[in-house]
Amino acid sequence: MQQKFLPLLLIALLVYALTGVQGIDVPRPRGVSLVKAPLYQPQPDGKWSCIDGSRTIPFTQINDDYCDCADGSDEPGTAACPNGQFHCLNTGHQSVDIPSSQVQDGICDCCDGSDELEESQCENTCVALGAAAAIQRRNEAELHMKGAEKRQEMINRGKQLKADRSARRSELNARIKEQEALKTEKEQLKATAEALEHEAVEAFKEQQRELDADTAQAEQEPQQMRQEASLTFVRYDTNKDGFVEITELMVDMNLDRDRNGVVTVEEAKYFLDERDRMDLDAFITLAWPRIKPLKMLADGLFQPPVSTPAEERAPQQDNSKDAQQLEPEPTGEHADMDVPDEEDGEDEEQYDDEEPDVGVGEATPDVETTTAAPIYDPETQRLIEQANEARNAYEEVARHIREIEHEIKELDEQEGKDYGPNEEWSVLDGECYTFEDREYVYTLCPFDRVSQKPRNGGAETTLGRWDQWVGEGANKYTKQRYAQGAACWNGPQRSAIINIKCALEPRITSVSEPNRCEYYYEFETPAACDSDAYTASAQSQHDEL
Amino acid sequence: MRCSLFVCLIIGALFSYGAGVDPSNFKTCEQSSFCRRSRKVQSAGSKYALIRGTLNTYSDSLTADLINKENHHQFTLKLEALVGNTFRLQIDEKQPLRPRYRVEHALKGKPETTRISVEESDELTITVGTSKAVIHGDPFRIDFYEHDVHVVSVNAKNWLYFEHLRQKAQTPPEPAEGNDQAQQQQQDQQDNSEEVQPASEPIDDPGAWEENFKSHHDSKPYGPQAVALDFSFPAAEILFGIPEHADSFQLKSTSGTDPYRLYNLDVFEYVVDSKMALYGSVPVLYAHGPKRTAGVYWQNSAESWVDIYTTETNVVSSLVNFVSGSRKSTPPVAHFISESGIVDAFIMLGPQPLDAFKQYAALTGTHELPQSFALAYHQSRWNYNDERDVTSVSAKFDEFNMPMDTMWLDIEYTDGKRYFTWDKFKFPEPLTMIKNLTELGRHLVIIIDPHIKRDNAYFFHQDCTENGYYVKTREGNDYEGWCWPGSASYPDFFNPVVRDYYASQYDLSKFKTVSKDVMIWNDMNEPSVFNGPEVTAPKDLVHYGNWEHRDVHNLYGHMHLMGTFAGLKQRDPEQRPFILTRAHFAGSQRYAAIWTGDNLADWAHLQHSIKMCLTEAVAGFSFCGADVGGFFGNPDSELLERWYQTGAFLPFFRAHAHIDTKRREPWLFPERTRAVIKSALLTRYSYLPLWYTSFYELEQTGAPVIRPLLTHYPADKEAFAIDSQLLVQHRLLVRPVMQQGVSKVDVYFPAIDDKKNGDYWYDVDTFQRQERAGYESIPVTDDKIPVFQRGGSIVPKKERPRRSSKLMLNDPYTLVICLDRQGKAAGTLFLDDEKSYAYRNGESIYVNYEFANNQLTNRFITKPLYKSDAWIERIIIAGLGYVPIDATITAKGISQKLEIEQRSNGAIVVRKPAVKMNVDFALKLNAA
Repeated sequence: MQQKFLPLLLIALLVYALTGVQGIDVPRPRGVSLVKAPLYQPQPDGKWSCIDGSRTIPFTQINDDYCDCADGSDEPGTAACPNGQFHCLNTGHQSVDIPSSQVQDGICDCCDGSDELEESQCENTCVALGAAAAIQRRNEAELHMKGAEKRQEMINRGKQLKADRSARRSELNARIKEQEALKTEKEQLKATAEALEHEAVEAFKEQQRELDADTAQAEQEPQQMRQEASLTFVRYDTNKDGFVEITELMVDMNLDRDRNGVVTVEEAKYFLDERDRMDLDAFITLAWPRIKPLKMLADGLFQPPVSTPAEERAPQQDNSKDAQQLEPEPTGEHADMDVPDEEDGEDEEQYDDEEPDVGVGEATPDVETTTAAPIYDPETQRLIEQANEARNAYEEVARHIREIEHEIKELDEQEGKDYGPNEEWSVLDGECYTFEDREYVYTLCPFDRVSQKPRNGGAETTLGRWDQWVGEGANKYTKQRYAQGAACWNGPQRSAIINIKCALEPRITSVSEPNRCEYYYEFETPAACDSDAYTASAQSQHDEL
Repeated sequence: MRCSLFVCLIIGALFSYGAGVDPSNFKTCEQSSFCRRSRKVQSAGSKYALIRGTLNTYSDSLTADLINKENHHQFTLKLEALVGNTFRLQIDEKQPLRPRYRVEHALKGKPETTRISVEESDELTITVGTSKAVIHGDPFRIDFYEHDVHVVSVNAKNWLYFEHLRQKAQTPPEPAEGNDQAQQQQQDQQDNSEEVQPASEPIDDPGAWEENFKSHHDSKPYGPQAVALDFSFPAAEILFGIPEHADSFQLKSTSGTDPYRLYNLDVFEYVVDSKMALYGSVPVLYAHGPKRTAGVYWQNSAESWVDIYTTETNVVSSLVNFVSGSRKSTPPVAHFISESGIVDAFIMLGPQPLDAFKQYAALTGTHELPQSFALAYHQSRWNYNDERDVTSVSAKFDEFNMPMDTMWLDIEYTDGKRYFTWDKFKFPEPLTMIKNLTELGRHLVIIIDPHIKRDNAYFFHQDCTENGYYVKTREGNDYEGWCWPGSASYPDFFNPVVRDYYASQYDLSKFKTVSKDVMIWNDMNEPSVFNGPEVTAPKDLVHYGNWEHRDVHNLYGHMHLMGTFAGLKQRDPEQRPFILTRAHFAGSQRYAAIWTGDNLADWAHLQHSIKMCLTEAVAGFSFCGADVGGFFGNPDSELLERWYQTGAFLPFFRAHAHIDTKRREPWLFPERTRAVIKSALLTRYSYLPLWYTSFYELEQTGAPVIRPLLTHYPADKEAFAIDSQLLVQHRLLVRPVMQQGVSKVDVYFPAIDDKKNGDYWYDVDTFQRQERAGYESIPVTDDKIPVFQRGGSIVPKKERPRRSSKLMLNDPYTLVICLDRQGKAAGTLFLDDEKSYAYRNGESIYVNYEFANNQLTNRFITKPLYKSDAWIERIIIAGLGYVPIDATITAKGISQKLEIEQRSNGAIVVRKPAVKMNVDFALKLNAA
C-alpha cells in the first residue's frame, strides 16, 4: 500500500506551488518572473490560455508536471516542457532564466535553490554571491577609473603622434618636391658629364682597339653587377610581389652573420638597410653591396674544383633540402609522435652541426682581386671621374627620394591603421610584449605581428600579421586579429586573436591554441580602460536587476 | 617437371616482390606465403580420408583419425555436439612436433555439450534433435542438416589444407634470382599445365622458413604450419560477417581479388570498399537463404584470409531464379585460411537469422548492460588541451542547452605518453576537473594504450622490466618498438600475472588522480607499432607459454581488454565498467564497445559506418559506432548534420576528431546547423529507454541491438543485401540520409513473406503510415531522416531533455504504441539504477506492455523489485482509426478518467496516466 496514486501527490504539490508566495507579494506560479506574473491569471471560468494562444486549459493544469502548451508556458515551474524557462528570482543577487531541462534535476542552478525541490537541500547562496559580485564590480569600476587616467595619457600621446605624423607628412611632401627638382638638375648634369665621358672613352677605345677583351670586361662590370643582383633579387622574391622582404631573406643561411643557425629578423633587416622590404632598385644599390661579400664567401666555399652535384646547388636550396633529409618526411598521423624534449634538443644540435658551415678562416674570399680596370689617359680619366661624381650626386638624390617615399609610405600605412576612436591605441604600435609558457616565448607587437619562439632555441614562427579589429558591435576594440602567419604542416596559415582587457600595466596574461594553428592571446592594457563605457554597461546590467 | 615447378613457385614469388606492384604498406595474399600456398589448393584439391577403425564415440562427441593420403600424415578429428543446434569440429595433428596453439579466452566459457546418437553405415550419421551431421570417409567431408535441409558442408571442395610441423631441411633451397621475363614465361607454362604439386612433397615455397616484407624479416623458426578449410552453404544465397572490413554488409566474391583479410592492423586513413584488414578480426561468417540461416565460427587467432565464392545476386538474377524456380548450381563457399593453430570450427545451424546470431552469442558472450551514460552522447577530440578546455566545453553544452554525457581525453593528457600519469601543467588538478563533470551527472573517459614508454624513471616501465612483463624477442630480450611515446615496449597480457599487475594499476590507491567514475579507452592495441612490419608487432616475438606472436596476434587486444576490465571491476565492484577498444577479436564484446577507427570526414565513410556496424553487430559487437563527423578532415555543415543524425541511431554515439582538424563542437556552427545537431542529440536521448532495454535483452538473449533487415524478413530476397538501413531491435527502421543535397531518399519496407506483404510502419515524427512493402520515396529536410516504428511494437521513450542521461533517471516515460493490422502491439521496457550490478539480483523492472482490444496492459516479466520514482507521463497510440472520447486507467482497484489529445495522422495521446513503473494497471480507451 506504499504505492500512492501519483496524481494526488501532484495535485498536492500544485496547490503548494500556486499558493506559495515567493519573496515579493505577487502570487504567481512557481518559476514565473514578476514581470510575467500578470500573464498567469485565471479567466473567470477557471481556464487559462497558453501565452502563445495555442490552447486553453484549466488554470489548475499550470505546473501540474504535464506539458500542455506548445510554447511550454503552462509549466514554468517544472521540467515537463522541453522548451520552457524557469525564472530564478535570486533575491540578493542577479535574477536569471534557466532552461526547464535544469529544473528538478538534482543540481542547484539558481543561487536561491528555487529550481530544486526541498529534498535536494540547495543552499541559498545569493546574498554571498551578490556581495562578492558587488565587490567585483566595485574593483572593476575602480580599475577602470585608474586605468582611464593612463588611457587619457595614451589618448593625448596618440593624438600628438597623429599630429606629428601629419606634420611630418607635409614636411616630406615639401621635401620630395624639392628633391625632385634637384633630381632633374642632377640628371642633367649627369647626362652632360656622361656624354663627355662617353666621347672620351670612345676615343680612348679607338686607341686601344687592339687591346684584349679585358677592357670590355671591365666596361661590363657594373652591368654584370646589376645582372647578378637582379638574379639574386628574383631568387629571394619567392612570393613574386616585386619586393624582397625580411622573411624572404630569412631562409638564406648565408646571411646568418652571427652563425647561430638562424637568420633573425634583425640580421635580415641589416641587409635591407633596416627596412621591411625593398624593390629591385633599392636592392641593387643598398642591399646587394652588403649581401655580395657573403655570397662570394659562400661561393668560394661551395665551388671547390672537385664538387659533388649536391654541393653545387645554390646554398639557399641546400638548406631546405638538407632539412628534409635530416628529418625524415613525416608520414601521416604518426608524424606527430612525441619525441622527448631532451632528444629534441640533441636532434636540433645535430641539425645545427650539419648546417653548411661558412666558418671564418676557412674561406679565402677573392673580393679584392677582381679584374683590374684599364688605365686611361689622364684627360679621359678626369672626365670619367667627373661623370662618376655626377652619377653619384644623382644617385644620392635618387636614394634620398626613395627614402622619403619609403617614409611617406610608412606614414600612410600608419595613417590607414585603426588606432581607435581617440587614437588611444596608437602608442602601442612599435611596442612589443612577450609571454613565456613552458615551451614557447610568445610575442605580440600590436599593429604589426605576433610570433612564437621555442624556449630551447630554434626559429621564430610568425603566428600572424596585423589584420583588423574584430570585436563585436560596441566591443569592437576588445579583440584584434592577426592573420596570414606561417603555414602549418598539413594545415592552414597560422592566425591569432588577441582578447584585450583593462589593466594598469600592459601585459600578456596567457596564450593558448584551442584550434590547431589558431592562437588566442589574453592581453591587458590601460588603453582598454574606457571608464565611461564600463559605467554605461554596468548601469544597463544593473537596470536589468 | 617437378623441379621446374619449384623454380616456378620461387620465381613467381620473386616476381611479385620484384615488380613491387603493391604500393601499400600491407600484404597481399600473394605476398603472404601461407596464404598463397593454401589458396593454391583451390585448383586441384587435397586428399584427406578418415582412417577406418579409429572411430571412438562418446555421449556428446566422437573422434576419429584422418590421413592426408598424399603424405600419409595423420590427424585427429573431434566432432562435438553443443547445446543450441551447434557442432564443434576440431582437427589437429595426431602427434605434432610441438603443440599447436589453441585459442583461449575467446569463448565465454566451456560450451555446454549435448547428447548425440551415432549411426554407422557407409557414412557416419550423428543426430542431435532436429539436426544431424553426416561424415563421409573418403574423400573426407561432413554435411550438416537442419530439419533434413542440407545447410552446411565441410570440405565439400576438398580444400582442407593442413601443414604439419616438420624439421627444417639442412639446406633449404636458395631462392633463385633470375630475370623477370623468364620467370613470367615459366609461370605461364605452369598455369597451363595440368600437373600440380602433390601435397605430400616438402614445402619449397621460399616463404616457408623465412619471409621478408619491405625491410622486415620474419624468422619463422617453426616453418610452415598453415590450416585451411572450405565451408559450403547449399541453402544460402548470401554470405556476411567476418568483420572488420570497410565494405558492404554482403560479402563479395573474391575471385579475381584478394581474399578478405583478418589481421588486426592500425591502418592509417583506410579506404572504403576494401577487403583489407582493419583493427579487429572476428572470424564468424553467416550464410543466409530464404529458408535457412547458418553460421561458421572459425576460432583461430593467427593471421587469416577468407576467400568467398558466390554468384553475386542482384534483383534481376534473383527475379530470374524466382520465376524459373531454378537454384544456382553452385552454393556459396567460404574458404578460411590461417597461418597457424588448428582447425577449430563451430557450425551453427540456425535455422533462422536470429537463431544463428544467438548461437554465436551463446559461444562468445555479449556486452553486459552498459551504464546509461555509455549509451548517451560522447564528446571527444584529439585533444581537449587542458582542464580549462574540458570545463568550458562542458559548460558550453549547458549554455546551448544540449545534452552531453561524457567528455573524452586523448593521449595528450598524459605526461609524455606515460599512461597512468597526467601532464602536470595542462592538468594540474584532474580530480577537481573530474568532479566538475560528475557533479553535472557527466563522466570522463581517458585513453590508456598498451605501449609503455621505455623511460627508466617511469614506474610502469621499471616494473615491467624488472619482472619480465614485456613481450620478448626470439632471443629473449624485451621487444622495443616505436609508438606515441617514442621507444616503447608491450606488456605480455597473455601472462595472467601481467594482467593482474595491469589490472591493479587501475586501483584508486595506485591511480590516485582519477575517480571511480572515470572510464577507459584502450586504443592502439592491435598492437600498433609504427616501425613494425605492417605497423604491428613482428610475428616471431614470443609470448607467455612460449607461443609465437604469429599464433596469437589477433588476440592481443582482447587480452589487453581482459586486463582493463578486471582492473575496473576490482576498482569498483559495484559499477559496470565502460571500455572502448579499437582492436577486437571474437569475445571482446564481453569487455568493450568498439568504434570503426580512424575514418574520414566524407560521405562514403558515413555510409560505411552503418555497413560496418551492422556486420559487427551480427558478429557480437552490437556496441558499435563511428567517429561522428569523421576523424580525419573537416566536415562541412551538411555532412556533420547528417552524421549526427546517423550516429544518433548507432549504439555507440561519439563525436571525435583528429588533432589537425578544426574544432567542431556543435556551437561553432551556424544557428541552423546547431539546431539540427541539437535535435539529433535530443532524439537520441529520447530513445535512451529503448537502447537501454535493447542492451538488457542483448545480454539476456544474445539478440543484436541493431540488425540488418534480413534478421526479421528472412524470406525477402530484395532485403538481403540492404545495408543503408538498419533495424533497432524489431521496433525501429532507420534509413539515415547519407548523400549530399538530397530532398528525398528511397526507403525499403521489407516484406514478411514472398508475396510482398509487409508490416505497417509509422513515421516517428508524423505517424504517417506505410502499408506496402517495397521501395518508397520519402521526403527529407535538413532536420529529418526517415525513421519508422513498426506497427505491432511499443517503444518506451523519455521526452524531457536533460543535460545528461544520469539526470533523467527519475524522469517520466512516454510509451509510443504503433498498431499492426490486427490493432495490436507489444513491447518491453527494462529499467534499474542504470549503474550497478544490482539488476543481477533482481533489482530491476522488466515489463511487457501489450495493447489489444483497445486496452493497454502491463505484465512484469520478473518481479519488479527496483524502486523507481519514474512514472508514465503520456501514451501515444498510432493507427487506432478513431478518436476515443477518453480513457480509463485502473490500478490498485482505483479507476480514473484520462483526457485524450489528438496528434497528426490520427495518432492520439492519452494524457498523464501518471502510474508508477512498478504498478500493475489496465488502460482502456473509451469510444464515443
